[in-house]
This record gives sequence, structure tokens and C-alpha cells, in this order.
Amino acid sequence: MATTSERTGNDAALIRPQDGTRGFWTRLTANPAYRQASDLLLSSDRRRFWLLAVPALIWMFGTHLGPILTMIRISFMDSYPPTAGRIPEMTLENYLLFFQAPNYITPFVRTFVYSTCYTLLTLLLMYPIAYFLAKKLRPGRQMLFLLLLLVPFWVGEIVRTYAIMILLGNRGFLNIVLMGLGLTSRPIPFMYTGFSLGMGLVYLTSLYMLLPLYASLEKIPRNYLEAAADLGAGSWTRFRRVTLPLSKDGIASGCVLVFLISTGYYATPVLLGGPSTTVFAETIAGFFHVAGDKWPEGAAFSTIMLLASLVTVGLFLRLLGRRRGNLLG
Amino acid sequence: MMRPSQIALTTFYWAFIVYLFLPLALMVVMGFKDSNFIGFPINAWTTRWYVQVFQDTAVLHAFGYTLLIAIASTLLSLVIGIWCAVFLGPARFWGRALVFAVMCLPAVIPGVISAISMRIFIRAIGMEPGTGAIILGLTIHNVPFVALMVLSRLGAMPRSQVEAARDLGADSLVAFLRVTLPFLFPSLLGASIFCMLLSFDDFVRAFFLGGYQPTLPVLIFAELRSGMSPAINAISTVVLVVTAALGLWAERGTRRLKGTRR
Amino acid sequence: MQKLLTPRRTILKGAGLAAGALAMPNIIRSARAQEKVVNVWTYANFIPDDFKAKFENDTGIRIQIRLVDDQGKAFNLLTAEQPNPSVDILTIAGHRFSQFITSGLLEAIDTDRLSNWNIVNPVYRDSDWIVIDGKKWGVPILAGAEGLAYNTEVVTPEEAESWDVMFDPKYEGQTAYIIQDFMSVTMLYLGYDGNMVEYKDDPEKAKAVVAEARDFLIKHKGQVRKFYDAGAEVQQMFINQDIVLAQAWSGPISKLIMDGFPVALTIPKPGSYGFVYNFNIAKNAPNADNAYQLLNAILGSPEVGTAMTRSSGYLSTIDGAADGLNDLERRASSLSQEELSRLTFFNTEADQLKYSLVDPAVEEIKAA
Repeated sequence: MATTSERTGNDAALIRPQDGTRGFWTRLTANPAYRQASDLLLSSDRRRFWLLAVPALIWMFGTHLGPILTMIRISFMDSYPPTAGRIPEMTLENYLLFFQAPNYITPFVRTFVYSTCYTLLTLLLMYPIAYFLAKKLRPGRQMLFLLLLLVPFWVGEIVRTYAIMILLGNRGFLNIVLMGLGLTSRPIPFMYTGFSLGMGLVYLTSLYMLLPLYASLEKIPRNYLEAAADLGAGSWTRFRRVTLPLSKDGIASGCVLVFLISTGYYATPVLLGGPSTTVFAETIAGFFHVAGDKWPEGAAFSTIMLLASLVTVGLFLRLLGRRRGNLLG
Repeated sequence: MMRPSQIALTTFYWAFIVYLFLPLALMVVMGFKDSNFIGFPINAWTTRWYVQVFQDTAVLHAFGYTLLIAIASTLLSLVIGIWCAVFLGPARFWGRALVFAVMCLPAVIPGVISAISMRIFIRAIGMEPGTGAIILGLTIHNVPFVALMVLSRLGAMPRSQVEAARDLGADSLVAFLRVTLPFLFPSLLGASIFCMLLSFDDFVRAFFLGGYQPTLPVLIFAELRSGMSPAINAISTVVLVVTAALGLWAERGTRRLKGTRR
Repeated sequence: MQKLLTPRRTILKGAGLAAGALAMPNIIRSARAQEKVVNVWTYANFIPDDFKAKFENDTGIRIQIRLVDDQGKAFNLLTAEQPNPSVDILTIAGHRFSQFITSGLLEAIDTDRLSNWNIVNPVYRDSDWIVIDGKKWGVPILAGAEGLAYNTEVVTPEEAESWDVMFDPKYEGQTAYIIQDFMSVTMLYLGYDGNMVEYKDDPEKAKAVVAEARDFLIKHKGQVRKFYDAGAEVQQMFINQDIVLAQAWSGPISKLIMDGFPVALTIPKPGSYGFVYNFNIAKNAPNADNAYQLLNAILGSPEVGTAMTRSSGYLSTIDGAADGLNDLERRASSLSQEELSRLTFFNTEADQLKYSLVDPAVEEIKAA
């Protein structure tokens, strides 16, 4: 039978653990030099804030913005790399190019439509999976099942994409099986269509949707649902009025991530798409790829796409209305 | 006790697993094809591609190099990501949304743009292309993901624990290290797996920021020019098996850790 | 606490050690940067290991190879490195010269410094595409062509004698091409100059020609299963039987033939374009002298030419390279005399004009 001291032992362990690390922490907090530094830096909320903020801001504004500003600078030049002895002129031409011809607007709009559709598709596909992992499995098994899902992502994108090609090709695995079973006499052209593109993209983006969803679903306390059940709610009602609203954060983060990242995908659409599925990222990559001096145009188009994506996401988050809880606090 | 919803969800999960693993199964099988290209029908089988993976020093070096870079950038990303998350999490200040957006920026810029601009940028800060540059580039790209995962878990942390620690005499730093950090552990684990994945799969940054030693994706891309071959499939299969084994080992280790924690 | 953290720590430690061990040679190598080196950007397996070892032994110059997999990436990387490139020798296709030269990325080749220059086949050595502003800009190593590839089990050699077959409704949805390259071929097919050198001083005519080719391709867009970019894609498409006809580079198709796949390549009427890969020297190259030594050594070693052909499927420009190939390889990578006569090389004289018109046309075709 546990005595009082043993029962409170666990709390005491927080400040006086029984193993060898006790010495370190107690010695540290007792050390006068450390105490001085701590008083100087950590004593007030304000100081703590600035201590955290300064390095973080330096890192973020330095490394995150630096490369973008380089790109934006290039987008205003009339040629890059600068030919020796000549200062490149600053011009808006590269941006105007985008609006001048319909053949740039088409893939641009197409990309945003696609990305929205694929985001929704991924959400619909991954929500049941996340729900299954978070709610229907014991905590011990969750990790294992999650890991199982992660394994395919260890294979590089390119190799996976070629594997999808031999899965869906006219003489690919799927067609061989279908023809062998007598379900079709001629091969079905799965490849180089919106279907093959979607299949490849969902493969890439599902992880970015799954993890936030899983995290937010896992946090929903069991007793909320039990309480709802006690109050007479059926399983669908419980889902609709308890689980779904509480997972809004996860849905928001997942959708935002997937949308933004999918607008940038280039390799997979190029390999799996067809003549009518050109996405804007391809157009941009084209500027960096072909036999012409096109970096400035590519940079301008990237900036346009970045702005449009951020605006879209901003609108989406605004639409969600209420504060996004744990995402932004 | 299998209610209909349970059955439906379980089936859905396994169906999705089949969807994910089918291309992988094909990849493994193609590694045995006796030809220079992959595809059906397979007329002859051979194990020479798999054997070659372990004999090809270029591949082995590239794999080791990639692993090293992945681990280094993951560790760096964790530190910086946690720092940013702790900074952004509880604080309320003017411009917070802007800072948040800037933090997320690297995650949303398309790869090739980010890689090329990084290449020019490191020149501006006087850095040479090579291992350090790749690690930096990967870290910059990964930090937003770490920060997001930590932020979401941070928001769920019960304040009482930290307050209790403070009451008991710990200053913020000690409270953070001994209370907050252990609480964040699950998201840190997830974040590190994520970072390792992103680093391993990265081609653009390694290509533009690297030196003369190719990482595995760079090597594979170069080999790809001669066509997608069973050799490449065999390499990817071996990498997959090794990392899956490592992942399982890590999972077993952390299960023991979690078990005692509860 | 410590005992339970051990599994994860040991894993990390173990993985780190293993990774370090595997990566060790390269870390040590990069630390010895004071040695004589020559930096090369080229394709995989172009420079065979034994040649490399022999060269390093004979001259004491270490060859550092960086693998690039396409011209576009090489251009981007070199541009990002200006004004002090880290590379000495690059591998650039002749029809991309203009892009690199006008951006000031290359150094002209001083053929006097290459004692083995005459080993290169005169067809390439003395051709017009290699000369810009009176100087030679590359050392030719491999020759290729934009050919018509076809599945021999479906398409007959007679059908493949002309580019007509690409627009034959019988093969609707079963063709593929690289739009940019095919624009040049289409212009030739329609009776114009695909190099656009003839219209260099007549921008109106140039515009009209490009527009006609573009509209023609848009009209026949239904023929196309896919617009592709890389050799590996068209190879996979043939293997998967997603297409039976394609405009393709001779190299990747040769590799398919070498593997025994029922595909053949021809140069159909009225003709097509050829291109040549070169080794080029970067402007402000850090080790230009070592570069010339390496280039000379390569030119004097037919086995390097053999390795390049075997790896890429293209024809080597070095005398004696073909002797090292077996029958199948030799047949797969060569073209008949008559077909060769239908080839013109890409000429980059009018490239500025050409690509300023062709690139938007490519986008328009994609968007149509």
C-alpha cells in the first residue's frame, strides 16, 4: 500500500527526480552565473519576448525573404545574367507579358481550379483515414498504422511516378489484369489524363493533409463524444456537431498546406499529365528550361503566382471566420 | 465489436494502403527484370541489379551522403522550428500574422525557384556551394513544417504544468526544457520524420546548392537520362527497406518511451 | 530517463556513424582542395572510370565530375554561378550555343591547343554551326538527330518514310513529340527553313512561318497522346505501348533498340535536323589549362567515345570509337547514308529571333 510520500513521489520527481540527472538541474539553477543570466534575460515577459524574437526574426527575414527578394529583383530586369559592362534596365515588361496573351492565363486559371479540386479531393480521402487512425485504433497501434502510411513516401518522387506509369500504361499492370480478366478487350488509356495526374498528385499531397487532420482529431477528448452520446446524440449527429467543428483547425491547416504546395508541383504534372493538363508551374519552369534568356520572365511569373496563392489562402482563412484556435492562437 | 462504420473505415484504410503500395510493389518487381528498361512483359529475371546496389560505390557514397545531410538538416530544423514556434505561439503582438506568413514562405515557393534564388543568395553571403549549403537550403525549407507541427501541439498544452513548474522555482528556460519540451515530444517525432522524408526526397536544392558529390536523388536523375532502368528501381527498393527498418526500430524505441510516460 | 531515451539515441548515433563512414571518402576529398583539378559537368557514364584513373595517374590532375541531366539545368546552374563559375568543362548541345554565348557563359575553343583536334570527324569539325563570330565554341563529341521513331510491329517502314505519318488519322492519339523540336521539323515539313536563318532579316516572314506551323500543329493536336520533354519519357511510352510513333532524339531510341525492343528510327522525307553535343569551356574557368589537357586526352582515346555511345546511344565524333561496339550497338546507333543526306544541322545564327517566336507558340499549342 502506497504511503503518502510515495504517492506524491511522482510530483516531487518533477523537481527532484530519483535518478542521476538530479545533480545537473539543481546544480544549474544554483549556479550564480546562470542565475545572473537568467535574471537578466528571462525575468520579465517583455525580455523573454525579445530574447525569443530577435534571433527568430533575423532568421526568418534573412533566410526566408532573402531568396525571394533576389527573385523579385531579377523579375524587374530586362535580361539576366547581366552581360558584362552593361547595367540591366528595370522594367515591368515581364509582368505585362502575363496579361498580354491568353496562353498564359489559361494554365494559370487551370492551376487554381485544379489545386482547389485536388485539395477538396485529398480532404475527402484523408479525413476518413485520419479519423480511423485517431478514433478507431488504440494509441499503441496508431503509430504503427501511421508509419505504414508513411513508408511509401520514402521512395523518391520520380521513381514512384514511373511506377505509376507502368501501373496505368496501355501495357501496364492494371490493363494487363483487366484484359486478363476479360473485362475489356482493348487497353484503356489511363495515362496522360486528369485521372493519372490526380492519382499522382494525391500520392504526393496526402501526407500534408493527413498529419494536421490526425493531430487535430487526436486531440478531441473522448469524453466529449461520450457526453454527447449520453445526451442522446446518434453517431452521425455526434460527428457532425462535435467532431467536425473541433477538427476545423486541422482541416484549415491541411487544406492551406495542400493547396499552396500543389500549385508549385512541376515534375509530376509534367510526367503524368496530358496535352490538355498543363499547369502554371510548368509554364514557369519552361522559362528556366528552354533555349532563351528567360529568367526574368520566370521570376515575374513566379511572383505573380506566389501573390495569387497567398491572396487565395488569405481569403479562404478569412472565410473560415473565427480565429483558428491552435494554428494562430 | 465491428459496427458498420468500423468496417467501412477499416476497409477504406486498407484500400488506401493498397493504392499506396501497388506502385511500390511494381517498383520492387521491376528491380528483378533482366533488361535495361522497366515495363511489362517481363521475359527474363535477374538479381544482378540488387547485387549491384551493394557493389556500386557511387550509389553507396551517395546514400551515405544523403543520410548525413538529412540528419544534419533535420536536427537544425528542429531547433530553429521549435524556437520559431515558441516565439510565435503564445505571443500577441502587432504584425503577428505577417510574421507567421513570412515563416511559412519557404514551404510554398516552388522548388526550382527557391533553389535557384538560394544559389544566388548564398553567393551574396559568401558561402560556397557544397554540403553546408545543401543543409542550409533544406533547413530553410523544413523549418515551417516543424514550426507548424509544434505550434499545433503547443496550443494544446495545459498551462497548469508550466505554471506549477514556475511556482516550484524554475525559471522560464528550465520550465521550457523540462516541461514543455517533453510534452512536445510526439510532434517533434512527427516533425523529424517529416524532415527526414523531405530531405531524402529533395532534388532541386541538392542539385543547385551541392558540390561534386551527388546526393542519391541527384544521382538517380542523372542515371535517368539513360532511361528508367531496373537498376534505379533496385536502388530505391533498397533505400526503402533500409529506411523502413530504421523507422520500425525507432517506433519500437519510442513505444517503450511512451509506455512508461503514461 | 536516460535508459529509455537510449533506443532513439543509439539509432541516431548508429545511423550517423554509418552515414559518416559511407560519406567519408568525399569529405576527405573535398578537404584536399589544393590539388590540381579540372571540374567537369557532364552526363552519367560519359567519362569511364578507367580512363579517369589513367588520366589522373598520368597527369596528376584530378577530375571532378558533377552530374547534370539536362541542358536547361546546366544553364540555370551556370547562370546562378556568375561571374565566377566553379566549372571548367561543360557539355552543351550545338543548338543551344547561342543561349550560352550571348549570356557570356562560354569561352571560345583555341583549337591550336588541342593536338588531337584532327581526330574529330571533319563533318563536325568544319561545320558551320560550330562557328559563331569566326570562332569555334565547342569540341564535338556526340552526334544525334531528330528522328521519327516507330513501333515496328505496328507501323510499316513505308509509312515511316515521310513525316505525313505523324498526322495520319489512323494513328490518332498514338503519337508524341517535343513541341519545341517539332516546331522546327514542322516548319521544314511545310517547306520552310526550320533554322530560320533565311528569315533573319525579315521578321514579318519569320512570324508568318511560325504562325503557320503553330496553327498546323494545333489543328492536328488530336494526334498527340502526350507532349514530352525527356528521352526517358518517350522510351517508357513506347515500352508501355502508349504510343506507336514519336518524334524523338536518336540517342534514347538507339538505347531501346540495343535492348531488343521492336522500335526503329528513320529520318523521313523531306528531312530533319541534327545536333551535336560538345565539350565546352566556361568563361573565367578556374582551371582552363587543365581543361585543355583533359579535352586533348579524351580526343585521343576512342574508348571514351565508345563509352559515350554505349551510355547515350548517340554517334561518337571520335575516330575509332565505333570499333569498340558490338554489332547490335553499332547498328542501333548509326544511320544509313541516305538518311544522313536528309539531315541538316541546327544552326544557332537566328536563335534570338527564332525562340522569341517559337517559345510563345509552344505555350499556345499547349494551351489550345
